[in-house]
Parts: sequence; C-alpha cells; structure tokens
Amino acid sequence: MTSDTLKPDVATTTVDAPAQLTLAGTRRGPSASRLLWGAAGIALALLVWELLSLLKDDHVLLPTVPETARTFVDYLSKRYPAVGGKTLWQHALVSLGRIGLGWSAGVVIGIAVGGLMASVPVVRHLVDPLIEITRPLPPLAFIPLMIIWFGIGETPKFVLILIGVVPIMIVATVAALDAVPEELVQAGRSLGGSATHVLLTVRLRSALPSIITGMRLAMGGAWTSIVAVELIAATSGLGYMINNAGVNLQTPLVLSGIVMISIVGIALDTLLRLFHRSIDPTRR
Amino acid sequence: MTISDTVTGSQGAVSITGVQKAFAGRSRKAPGRQALDGFDLEVRAGEFLCLLGPSGCGKSTLLNLLAGFSEPDGGEVLVDGTPVTGPGPERGVLFQTPMLFPWLNTLDNVLYGPRARGEKGAAPRKRATDLLQTVGLADAAASYPHELSGGMRHRAAFARVLVNQPRLLLMDEPFGALDAITRAAMQRFLLELWERDRMTVVFVTHDVEEAVLLGDRICVMSGSPGRTRAVFDVDLPRPRDLEMTDTLEFVHLKRQVRESLEASL
Ligand SMILES: Nc1ncnc2c1ncn2[C@@H]1O[C@H](COP(=O)(O)OP(=O)(O)OP(=O)(O)O)[C@@H](O)[C@H]1O
Ligand SMILES: [Mg+2]
Repeated sequence: MTSDTLKPDVATTTVDAPAQLTLAGTRRGPSASRLLWGAAGIALALLVWELLSLLKDDHVLLPTVPETARTFVDYLSKRYPAVGGKTLWQHALVSLGRIGLGWSAGVVIGIAVGGLMASVPVVRHLVDPLIEITRPLPPLAFIPLMIIWFGIGETPKFVLILIGVVPIMIVATVAALDAVPEELVQAGRSLGGSATHVLLTVRLRSALPSIITGMRLAMGGAWTSIVAVELIAATSGLGYMINNAGVNLQTPLVLSGIVMISIVGIALDTLLRLFHRSIDPTRR
Repeated sequence: MTISDTVTGSQGAVSITGVQKAFAGRSRKAPGRQALDGFDLEVRAGEFLCLLGPSGCGKSTLLNLLAGFSEPDGGEVLVDGTPVTGPGPERGVLFQTPMLFPWLNTLDNVLYGPRARGEKGAAPRKRATDLLQTVGLADAAASYPHELSGGMRHRAAFARVLVNQPRLLLMDEPFGALDAITRAAMQRFLLELWERDRMTVVFVTHDVEEAVLLGDRICVMSGSPGRTRAVFDVDLPRPRDLEMTDTLEFVHLKRQVRESLEASL
C-alpha cells in the first residue's frame, strides 16, 4: 500500500464515476417522459413484428404477437414437455439457480483474483495474458471440452458460466482498484488505519461501485451463455426449453422463452442497480 | 478544552539529517533521479514552518518521508526523537485536494480515524462534533462530501485530521486548488486554529505571500536534487491577519524571499 510512488495530484474528490450500463441520458430515476418514450419504442417494435407476421402469414416463421403472448401465458402453468416437463416459471427457476450459483462463485473468484492482481505485480503479469486469450472466446467453443472433462451433469454447466463471469469480474475489479487514488489510501493510513483495515474500508470500498458495475456486466454475460450452457444434456431450464422448442418448430414457445430470459434478466439487473444506489451516496 | 488540553506545545519536533531519496528511472538506460541529496531540516516543536521552492525540488518527497508514506534511502527522519517508520495518526496529513471518503458523511469521515484505531466510547464522538462546530460544519454533519463546497470539504478534512490530536501537521499545498477568496478564508482559519493549539506545522506552498503570512520560518529550497537555499525568520507579530500584508515589513520580507526563490530557479 505504502509504495513510494508520488502520484501526480489528483484533482477529483469524488473517486468513482462508473460507466452507466443503461443508455439513459440522466443518472437520476426514470422521469415520466422517458418512461413514455420507452413504452412507445416497445410498442413500435411490437407493431412492426405484428405487421411482418401478418404479411408472412406463417406460424413457424413468425407467429403473431397475440399468439406469442397467449403461448407465454399458457405455459406459465402448462408443462413443457407435456410429459415430465416443467412450466415456464419452473424452467426459469432452474436457469436462475444455475446462473445464481455460477455467477456468485465467479464474482467471488473474480474479485479475489482481481484484488491479488491489483496488489501484486507478478500475479498481474502472470494472469493478464490468460485473460486476454480467454476473453474473446465464445462459450459455445468450450462445450465439447466441458463434456470431455466434466461429463454431462451440472459441473460442466457451472464451469461454463464461470468461464463467462470470471474474466469480466477480474477485469472490472482490477480497473476499479487501479482507479482508487493513492492519496485516498494514504489518507486512511495516516488517520491510523492498519494496512488491512485500509485495504478493506478504503481501497475496496472506494472501488465497490465500479465492481458492482462489473457484476452487472457479468450477470448479463451469464444470461447470454445460458442457451449454450443448457445445450449440454439438460432436461430443464430456459435454454433447454428454447433449444428443444426450436427443434420442434414451436416458434411461439421459443419466443416466450426469450421473453422470459429478458424479464428475469431485467429483474436481476434492477436488484443490482438498487444495491449500487444504496452504497453510493452520489447517486441518491 | 479537549484539543488544547491534549495537544501540548512541547511535541512534534522534526529533525531531518542527511536524507537521501532517489527515484529509479523507467528503464535501465534512463538514469534514476536524485530527489533529495543530503537534506537537513530542523523544526522546533510548535513551530510553523513553510517550505517554499520551485516545482520538482522535492517538497512533496520530503513531506511523504515525514508522513511515512515512503522511506529514505539514507539519513534520518525523526519526529520527537523517534524514526518515522510508517504513517501514523500523530502526524496528520492534508493533501492538495481534501481526499474525503465520498461514501461517508461528514461526521463519519471525521470519525474514520478513531474508529479505525478501535477507540471506544463516547469520547471520539464528542470530539468530532466539537470539531465540526469549530470548523463551522455543525449543520453539515450528515451531508456527504459531494454536497459540500470546496472550502467546506477542506474544513472537513481538517476536522478529520484534528480529531486524532496530531502533534505534527503536514500540508502539501493544501489551498493550491482554491479560489482567492476561499483561500484567504482558509488561511485565516488555519492561523486561528494554530494560535489555539500550537501544534508543529510543515506547510508546503508555491505562494511567497502565503508563506510569509503563515510561517514562523520559511525554508527556501532549490532543486534538483533538493537543498536548502535559504532560511528566513519571519519576525512579524502574532496573531496575524490579512491586513498585515500591506505593511512595510511584510512587503520587504516578501521581496527578500521572492528574490531568493528566483535565484534558486
Ligand atoms: N514516483 C516518482 N517516480 C520518479 N520520480 C519522482 C517520483 N516522485 C517524484 N519524483 C521526482 O522527484 C523530484 C521531486 O519531486 P517532488 O514531487 O517532491 O517535487 P515538488 O517539490 O513537490 O514539486 P511540486 O512543487 O511541483 O509539487 C522531481 O524531479 C520528480 O520528477
Ligand atoms: Mg509537490
């Protein structure tokens, strides 16, 4: 912590200004007019979809909006597959469980490794290239390997989500810790905090908002890989349901699954955003 | 009261002898930089010393050594006769920017030190609220740093350091980033505080007038490596105020210091 680097004077007092994930122009809560425009955008997209499906007039190619909505509502209580299957909710819960487990573990691992990298240069030089190499690889590319190594149970699915989450978390954590001004840490030390106490209550605390932004990105990444994950011999989960319904040309159900993923994803992101807001007084 | 009782004027003496500090070059070819080469400085307990010097002459390097943020390559840095081995609450540091913790409100910022050191009971809280009163932030105790003005943030940073009852106050161009009016207010505030508590102060500045107004002594440095070029005793009466800057003695001393500083460039 007390390296003898003399940093150039940092002119900012508010340490953290993480990039917004949403495209919204302001950082305050949603205003009425913004909500209205957003709703209009969605309505417009649905309208285009409806027009296209009426033009094409082909269930399999593109079902109409009401048909998709009906399917969605039906399958909230109806099982898929009909025998021994699960409802849309239950599939969502299965996927949620997989993602929850993989994401939490990935967040913990990512913060730990990122913390080490930010404090020990050797570790950083060691891990940096590994991340650069693995980051651009799509989860699908790992599926055969996962099956060879871990079989077809829950383990390969868990590992596949980890592969998506950990690099994002490492990169976010390192960047967040690097951005903490040296003087802030020095201030904590000269106020009497021990090195460990300052590491936790100043360095990590100051980086926390940006780390949460990383957690949101990683959550998004985990959901994008769920379909790939559940290609591995799954018998439940939204990814499995989408795959299976697709093979059987049940397009409305495919679309329902996609909508469900989006709903759950938005709900989780909202929770993380609330968390972010609760720990960052500059955003209240 | 609390502060004046505990901070006695007999502590906080600084003794720096033959201090060496070099910074390694970026590559093997680029030579290292000798920031300080055999630097000596004595500061009496309760003295207000101003360090003045051209940019890059090693003022911040020196202050960082005193604060315990870095270690000298050679020589001795003593505070009250004991070598400095690391940062500590008895040596309060004020940076150019206030460096408040943005996630804590003003009161919690002030209480960071006592809490970090595990001080128990109601005493630290009493001290903190008294100090906030002193620095005029009693109403802003629950406000967060981003809700304070620049001057208020500086005063909060003062309170956060003073709550630890430091014997030595280290300031690195603390008012450099402030506008002229706020800076004058902060200078007056610092003078009042020092009149009351008389802790030892090492104050780094670029501003000749500020140095003459505040200091008991002014150490003009030349770089680089940093050396003491001249030391001026400021024999102006205390308590001082801004009106004094128009007096003949003040102007005369200011010119002497400025000439010495310009010669060191
Ligand atoms: N971390 C560092 N790495 C390399 N060189 C450094 C480092 N810190 C300071 N130096 C060098 O040491 C010398 C003294 O720097 P220092 O910051 O103490 O100057 P200063 O007197 O505080 O200047 P200023 O008035 O501009 O703040 C300079 O030549 C600078 O380039
Ligand atoms: Mg400096």
